[in-house]
Amino acid sequence: MKSGNDDKEIRIARDASVGGRRELTAIVVIMSLVIVAFFALAGRCYYLQHNLGDHYAEKCIFQQRAYLPLEPQRGAILDSRGRVLAASNQIRTVFAEPRVIKEPKETSTRLAPLLDMGAHEICRLIVDSNNPGCAILKRGATIAECEEARKVHYGIGIQYDWQRQYPMGRLAAHVVGFTSKDNFGLAGIEYTFDRDLRGRGAKHTFLVDVRRRPLGFCLADERDDNEMPIHGAGIILTLDATIQQFTREALLSRYKEFEAEAAVAMVADPHTGEILAMVTLPDFDPTETADTAQTHPELFTNRLLTDQYEPGSIFKPFAAAIALDMKVVNRYETIFCENGNYHGKGFGHIGEYRQGYGDLTVREILKYSSNIGMAKIGQRLGATRLYEGLTLFGFGRKVGIELPGEAEGLLRPVDKWTSYSPTRIPFGQEISVTGLQILRAFCMLANGGRLVHPYIVKSLVRSDGMVVDMKPSTLRIGYVIKPDVARWMVQDALTAVVNDSKGTGAKAKLEKWTVFGKTGTAQIAKPDGLGYLDKAYIASFIAGAPAENPRVVVLISIRRPNVALKKGYTGGTVAAPVAAVILEKTLTYLGVPAKGTAGESAVAQVRPYSEEEDDHSW
Amino acid sequence: MGSRLSFVLVVFFFAATLIVAVYLRDANRHVFYTLQTYKIEQGRLQQELWQKQLRVEGLTNPASISQRLDERTVHEIRQ
Repeated sequence: MKSGNDDKEIRIARDASVGGRRELTAIVVIMSLVIVAFFALAGRCYYLQHNLGDHYAEKCIFQQRAYLPLEPQRGAILDSRGRVLAASNQIRTVFAEPRVIKEPKETSTRLAPLLDMGAHEICRLIVDSNNPGCAILKRGATIAECEEARKVHYGIGIQYDWQRQYPMGRLAAHVVGFTSKDNFGLAGIEYTFDRDLRGRGAKHTFLVDVRRRPLGFCLADERDDNEMPIHGAGIILTLDATIQQFTREALLSRYKEFEAEAAVAMVADPHTGEILAMVTLPDFDPTETADTAQTHPELFTNRLLTDQYEPGSIFKPFAAAIALDMKVVNRYETIFCENGNYHGKGFGHIGEYRQGYGDLTVREILKYSSNIGMAKIGQRLGATRLYEGLTLFGFGRKVGIELPGEAEGLLRPVDKWTSYSPTRIPFGQEISVTGLQILRAFCMLANGGRLVHPYIVKSLVRSDGMVVDMKPSTLRIGYVIKPDVARWMVQDALTAVVNDSKGTGAKAKLEKWTVFGKTGTAQIAKPDGLGYLDKAYIASFIAGAPAENPRVVVLISIRRPNVALKKGYTGGTVAAPVAAVILEKTLTYLGVPAKGTAGESAVAQVRPYSEEEDDHSW
Repeated sequence: MGSRLSFVLVVFFFAATLIVAVYLRDANRHVFYTLQTYKIEQGRLQQELWQKQLRVEGLTNPASISQRLDERTVHEIRQ
């Protein structure tokens, strides 16, 4: 029995040993599986963190945050008296967030009567939107429309956009310019000062709840520092809207009357170089530029800066002033004008416009606008001195005004001049100028021979209120020509052009003020440069007033007045009356005392020219 | 008995703290939301004022006045 029991115990012990090994094996297997699973999980965690970490972090941020881009307000452009020429105002845009709108049909049906749009159209805008975060439904919505639309679905939002407005319309279109739909300056001051006007945008980041309602600013990310946008700087021009209106009104009337191809006018202060008015016709409406760009893109051209043309007789005062300044002629001597028929070897044939003249003084040469007289003055000067003098007046290089597209004009270097050049340039041929260059040179005559730099931007007002003076620094020493020469030219020779009954500019005469000026009738060169177009002229007149102390100078150029109308085509007939109207209105507006009044002597800063002070040296 | 009371108090204060925290969070969110709403409203009113100023500029600028004077003159001549 004992042995039987022992066997049984041995068997039980063996079974227990086998069972223990099995349990141990099971434990080892399970633990191994657990360890493998742990490593698998660790691997997965590493994979998620290392390889997909950025992706999930981005998803998380996207889910928790909302962004509000804040576009800066584009700066305003004002005239010299603070009147608004261009400004931006806010418009409301209703948009949908397609990714959160689960039932676009139902939402569209509810929105349709509120936005006064078709339900199909709204539905199409939501469904077809390429941007899951924003589908524009209506621009320029009213406050009531916005409030009602917002209540329809939390996926409907209101966005504020800026729209550029030009309260004065066409009045200063070529100066102010215009912007694209996304508020980038494309022309005029809008283009030149685009960076200053545009300002700097910002973005606000919010933590949002499940319905994307803001819970608070998110300040964790350094990139999203929730700054406020910096609005664009304001620009104050030297332009005066009232003088601009006088100028445009007078020019437009003449432009229509003579059925001209184009017309330009500019008014400036000869002492400071401030441009008070700048008009180019035909012009454009800055609020409808998209249509104009397709139909008549040439209307955007500011012809005062871009058009280069042979100035004709309005150029004569500059050549005459150079000759007087360099003492190659004096004002008492007479020059024989060949009775209207001057020819010789090396310079061909030169005739007069109206009639031939005999002996003329410099004053009379300018008064009657004698080509032969000017040709002889040019011959006396010689190429080098004439070229140097014209360079001092700034011809052949840009004026540098703050507007785009300015041309340089053409004043060839002396070594490229022909033997014709010294006889042709003094009466405005063989040279190309822009209206702005002529005006600047005339300012130098009018202000007593001082260098002047025309400018149109007076100051820049930053969004923090700081005012930056933009007036160009002008060298106040030295003269382009002697003050006595300039004074005689203005108060005697050019005054005679307007105030003597036989002067070519008699139609610009005013009762209240002494006007000085010079007419010009230039032929238009053929596009190939060989000869001139038939019956195609540029009628010009450049003038200033009052002669004793010029307050304003005016340039008028009317391109291709219709000769077939038989109303005339010369500068004296077409352009001079326009200058008279502008000068009269402008001087009245500026409060310049009329001649013979008590106030006149009080404001006179420049000494009137008198015979006694003449030293007979020129 | 004492330990049961302590347990109730702990639970009570824990619950109260949670409720206050939720309330403060909600109040903070509400104030922030109201502030943002007022800011937007202020901006809107400023813009409306600016828009009206622009409209006045459009009516009182020299070009517009000149045009209206011309129209009036033509009207008077016709009468």
